[in-house]
Amino acid sequence: MPSFEPVLMKGIGEADLRDISVYRQRGGYRQLERAFKELTPAQMLDIAKASGLRGRGGAGFPTGTKWGFLPGSDAPRYLVCNCDEAEPGTFKDRMLLEETPHLVLEGILIGAYAIGCRHAFIYIRGEFKRGYEIMRAAVEQARAAGFVGRNLFGTGYDLEFTIHRGAGAYICGEETALLNSLEGKRGEPRLKPPFPATQGLYNMPTVVNNVETLAYLVPILERGAEWFASVGSEKSKGFKVVSVSGHVRKPGNYEVAMGTPVREIIDLAGGAREGRKIVAVQPGGGSSACIFEEHLDWGYDYESMQKAGSMLGSGAIVVFDDTTDFVAAAHSLVRFFAHESCGQCTPCREGGHWLELTLERLVHDRGVPGDVEILEKASHQMTGLNLCPLGDSIEPFLVSVVKRFPEQFEERVLRFDGAKRG
Amino acid sequence: MTFPELRERLQPRCDELIAQYPSKRSALMPIMHLFVDEQGYASKDAMRFCAELLDLTIADVEGVVSFYTLFFQRPIGKYMLQVCRNLSCTLNGAQEIMAHTRARLGVGHLETTEDGLFSYEEVECLAACDRAPCMQINLDFVYDLTPQKIDDMVAAMRAGTYPTAPLPQTERPSRTWIVRDDQEIARGERSAGGIGVADPDDAGGIGDPTGVIMLDRIVSDQARFAGRTRERTIVEPAQILEAIGE
Ligand SMILES: Cc1cc2nc3c(=O)[nH]c(=O)nc-3n(C[C@H](O)[C@H](O)[C@H](O)COP(=O)(O)O)c2cc1C
Ligand code: SF4
Ligand code: FES
Repeated sequence: MPSFEPVLMKGIGEADLRDISVYRQRGGYRQLERAFKELTPAQMLDIAKASGLRGRGGAGFPTGTKWGFLPGSDAPRYLVCNCDEAEPGTFKDRMLLEETPHLVLEGILIGAYAIGCRHAFIYIRGEFKRGYEIMRAAVEQARAAGFVGRNLFGTGYDLEFTIHRGAGAYICGEETALLNSLEGKRGEPRLKPPFPATQGLYNMPTVVNNVETLAYLVPILERGAEWFASVGSEKSKGFKVVSVSGHVRKPGNYEVAMGTPVREIIDLAGGAREGRKIVAVQPGGGSSACIFEEHLDWGYDYESMQKAGSMLGSGAIVVFDDTTDFVAAAHSLVRFFAHESCGQCTPCREGGHWLELTLERLVHDRGVPGDVEILEKASHQMTGLNLCPLGDSIEPFLVSVVKRFPEQFEERVLRFDGAKRG
Repeated sequence: MTFPELRERLQPRCDELIAQYPSKRSALMPIMHLFVDEQGYASKDAMRFCAELLDLTIADVEGVVSFYTLFFQRPIGKYMLQVCRNLSCTLNGAQEIMAHTRARLGVGHLETTEDGLFSYEEVECLAACDRAPCMQINLDFVYDLTPQKIDDMVAAMRAGTYPTAPLPQTERPSRTWIVRDDQEIARGERSAGGIGVADPDDAGGIGDPTGVIMLDRIVSDQARFAGRTRERTIVEPAQILEAIGE
């Protein structure tokens, strides 16, 4: 059982939080009003920094610091909420969007006020048709209640809000690709610098934040930065919604304090299946390397996952038990990245494709000698040579499981006589 | 309804969409979504109109539209079945579900049934890994799939009793929406399966550059594919080894 009350997930499953009156009865939109009436943007920035909140979209960048990069000019500036969630294994933003859209919206509006933005956006993955409709209804309700639009709370502050729907492209989750997509262009990442903080949407200063990051602003305002910062480890503060799937009995989203041991989170999700043993865990979405049995008692936080050779990433745990075919698992993920590569960088576009072909041979027991070595070598030739992190994300999982379970890969290689090796 | 009529009807909504953004071009995707919802696919007419409205070239609009997999550039079936093939679903039996669905519909990845009712695609993580294996039907989620569930759904769609509304279908779809016409596939230069080496026994296999999956189907359904075959070449692993001098 969780040792505390859920924070973002509070009320989900108990009440219809999509209804603005229900959300308001439970204290909703009070923090937005407080921000507008009692706090200055500078104070908001201090709160964000003091809370220790780090981005929940994958990179874990400190949110207050990111906001602080915006130049102090009068130029229009934009906040874009990233709800393109497509990282394999991750399904927390979709839940927040569909179950508690007003919390997401309130977080975005608070974030917009904090950075002085007058037009905020949410980019919703094209596949989330239901989530898009739910958010549209929520925005209409909020507009009618005076939380979106002109002269909010009589302060003279106008805040517009636009929902933008994607159309099927994982790469649009990368922040500069997302901005291109929002500008009506192909969703291809931009060369950085310039960073979005100085030249983002329409070439103006822009912040891109994840759904969960922005949603946490609401409880942080309500209960104080100290409360949030008091939970977790030294560099990982507060709470985290973790998506657990794979070989567990009760897959789902579980909200935990940062630093909760990985094993405890897996136990929340029902633990291993009957009579099975967990042999590997992917702790941070499809882009992360595996961690293994010896790491299961480590805390789930940014530092520990990095020390274990992986990352916290998007906060998605995929569990593998002793029945796993790691060749098929690696094939499935590599094929994903090869399919989603936007094609601008040669190592990502070609390398992903060749790794996929090699794994495809292995999956069908038709590997040729040298294939397993190629898997490792090709990845070394891909990392650090790409415009965006997607190209570097192809190898971590693959290499970690090839190293740990080499026999699973080797035995798929045919020998001269056509018989299976060893 | 003719396209000029449709365009006239949707013009006010296009204007609203354009007004939502600081820059006109941002309305490109929303406008395409609007037309796709009416026509079932991203038609040339819609792209041309979009280009006119936003002061872009048609090539520019097509370049954007073709980047996104949900903007189908050719007509598709009334029910678009998109089964997840990513990691968590694979760990929970997606292979079996894909094999079953392919067999039940008689089509492969990226193909539409002869009667134009179903299109089938194997897609990446749908953010529903907790309910794996899963799929979307016309973008509505269907969770915890079993072969029985697939059979029941397909039967309901055939009978017209399935709860999710069918997609509009303004034109008859061809075999696939990925290449321009059936002829290209028939000549064996392209296949609906796209890239990748495939094994005919591999239910989740996406690729078919050697035409193996298709040829298997042709062999079992000769009447339908009469006159469209080509030689089947199978490369044995031993030959590969020889070629690379091992
Ligand atoms: C290929 C790729 C895909 C990404 N997908 C997402 C995504 O779906 N959602 C998300 O919030 N961030 C995603 N990110 C991270 C974003 O680029 C960005 O760091 C994040 O939205 C910033 O928000 P945060 O500071 O609140 O974490 C992705 C990054 C890459 C490289
Ligand atoms: S790394 Fe891959 S996805 Fe990223 S910009 Fe390069 S080609 Fe595109
Ligand atoms: S892996 Fe299938 S929904 Fe995520």
